[in-house]
Amino acid sequence: MSARKLAAGLGACAVLLAAAGCGGSAPSGAAGVAAGRDEGPVKIGALHPVSGANAVDGQQMRRGAQLAVDAINAKGGIRSLGGRKVELETGDTQGKAEVGQSEAQRLISAGAVGLVGTYQSAVSTNVAVVAERNRVPFVMDVTASDAIFSNGYEYSFRVQPGSAAIAGAAARYLKEVSQQAGKPVKKVAFLHEQTDFGSGAAEAFTAAAEKLGVEVGPNISYDALTVSDLTAQITQVKASGADVLAVAGYYRDSLLAAKAIAAVKPRLNAVWGVSNGAYDQPKFVTDGGALGERYFSTNYHFDAKNQQTAGLRAGYQRRYGAPMRTGAVLAYDAVQVIAQGVERAGGTDAEKVRDAIASSKVEPRTVGTGPIAFAPNGDNKNALPVLMQVQNGQVKQVYPAEKAESKPNYSVTWRS
Amino acid sequence: MSNSGTKTEPPPAPAVRRGPLARLSPGDGTGALLKRAAATGGLVAVAIAIALIKSGSGLVVWQSVVTGLLMGGLYGLIAMGLTLIFGVLDIVNFAHGALLAIAMFIAFGVVQGTGLHPYLTLLVAVPALFLIGAVVHRGLLSGTGGASLENQLLITLGLSLLLENGLLMFFGAEPKNVALPGDFQFSLFGAVVSGARLYAFLGAIAIGALLFWLLRRTRFGTAIRAVAANGPGAELVGVNVRRVHTLTFAIGTACAGAAAVLAAPLVTVTPTLGEQFNITAFVVVVLGGMGNVAGALVGGLLIGLVEQLTTIYMDGQSSLLGVFAVFLIVLFLRPQGLFGRRS
Repeated sequence: MSARKLAAGLGACAVLLAAAGCGGSAPSGAAGVAAGRDEGPVKIGALHPVSGANAVDGQQMRRGAQLAVDAINAKGGIRSLGGRKVELETGDTQGKAEVGQSEAQRLISAGAVGLVGTYQSAVSTNVAVVAERNRVPFVMDVTASDAIFSNGYEYSFRVQPGSAAIAGAAARYLKEVSQQAGKPVKKVAFLHEQTDFGSGAAEAFTAAAEKLGVEVGPNISYDALTVSDLTAQITQVKASGADVLAVAGYYRDSLLAAKAIAAVKPRLNAVWGVSNGAYDQPKFVTDGGALGERYFSTNYHFDAKNQQTAGLRAGYQRRYGAPMRTGAVLAYDAVQVIAQGVERAGGTDAEKVRDAIASSKVEPRTVGTGPIAFAPNGDNKNALPVLMQVQNGQVKQVYPAEKAESKPNYSVTWRS
Repeated sequence: MSNSGTKTEPPPAPAVRRGPLARLSPGDGTGALLKRAAATGGLVAVAIAIALIKSGSGLVVWQSVVTGLLMGGLYGLIAMGLTLIFGVLDIVNFAHGALLAIAMFIAFGVVQGTGLHPYLTLLVAVPALFLIGAVVHRGLLSGTGGASLENQLLITLGLSLLLENGLLMFFGAEPKNVALPGDFQFSLFGAVVSGARLYAFLGAIAIGALLFWLLRRTRFGTAIRAVAANGPGAELVGVNVRRVHTLTFAIGTACAGAAAVLAAPLVTVTPTLGEQFNITAFVVVVLGGMGNVAGALVGGLLIGLVEQLTTIYMDGQSSLLGVFAVFLIVLFLRPQGLFGRRS
């Protein structure tokens, strides 16, 4: 009886949760494009997860987009349209793909000439479909997955470097930095969370590293949702004799990995974050303290050497009382891309705006090799992943040299 | 229900005891129990041996075993509260994980606000959770509204959603950390043991022992067991059943409070953290035999081990895969759990 009761309970629970998950998304039909686009302010849609588990980043990004709109209006709005103002229409994806989809539809129906978003690949995948169907440009700020860009979509663009680009750069930087330090990398152990994000990073890194003649193994994965300790996994790294440990994970699990590394002290020359959700975050330095010192991370990043980025971030700090994260800077860039598209198209016709975006060049506030310019598949061809390192409690850009704030220190604290 | 001798000091598990009371004690004949314990131990030894062959590194397996046992103690403590509530009140408490999260935020808040040593927050979090448990039971579950199974499920599930989203609203989604001052680690035959994990493990064992003592050796514990065995019967001999129910529920949630404080330095504190532990705790409860407090501790240790060994057996798989494989096998072979009795 008891087992049956529990089973019944678990079943009821699953049904309820499923029902709760389905709620709240009311698709408003596919028609209704271009309602009142020609009058009033030019509307740009911003889709971010401002509630739920990723609410902090979602809020950051929405504010980043708002700062971009304010900056454009302060400079006199869209000049080619006689100084029409720009307005941000916001939507909350709640971190759910189906909510993101219906919100995207809503923003388009409300007259958005373009969308920015969405922080999560799964949500962006759905929004990209809506954008394509409605022929409205969708400029992604944070979206790691490369799969969206292999569908031949014409209305999807992305500002951040993709997952494969980051992993490839991580392998290349590792080889170069380790050689410059006189300790050329031999064998890399790869620890990653097991969904598309971590596994994709591991695969791309392995492919790139093997081309450079660097051995990768063992490849250890874990479930980021349930993992509560990574000591055994780090012991496995220690036993394997690898001289570098690459980590691709989210915030919580990457912090767990750092704790385990400090406990096990494997014989490494470096800890190497790849698209890591923690190792280039100031919060990681606060939470981890000495744990994270000298950790490397290859990722997209706001351009710390750019004066305008510094001004933007200072403004954010003044207005919102928190440091501006890279995601928010990317959202700022994405809004600028759409606004400049409208400016050059000289109108709010979404298809003309799309063509203008496809051929546009926008100065980024994030690290790049040049202005934001899109390849035929919609990816930003000048996006540049940058290597960062925690040095004396500060996240510093250290490589490549032209973007470096200080020199990389290729070592770990427990073996100096 | 032939049992009326609950007032005497318990002899070593007399075989005549029948009915749900036995859920609170491990015994249905010491011999059979020993046999099952030996079989379980044997299987664990075989599993470890296979892991040794699979990984080829003694150190890795040894570290996994140590880590698994340390984590398992904590799982056991979380599950103990759950199994107590189930054994005595027959309530499947889905809000257990959310209450755990509440306790962690209390610990976090007190450490932030007063700079107290994290473990001293036990003095705040445990009574607080005891009170919350009592209020929840009195306010929501003990009335007629909480009488039916469906209502209990909806109430506890609804409560968990309410608590989690309340935490999200007040504290935000930003993950928080509780640092343990003076944390250290040492090597146990090559395996790394961190102080925080060892303390959590020892604390879990101690609280488990305390709970066991309370149930077996005190008048109040006897009353709890009497209510579990036969509510109307207990009422007839003068036990205030409603009060015992409320206190038992409160003790169960206080266990979650203690577990939360012990675990706080080990995890990143987020409002949704309860979910992570809830699933595991339910598996442990069923595995150990529903309502069996000692079984919950042993079940916790087992699940901790299974989690770690799974990552060796099937690298790249969720450790929950192994946990549920073991869960299904146990349900198939012994539906009443490893240490439960047929009812």
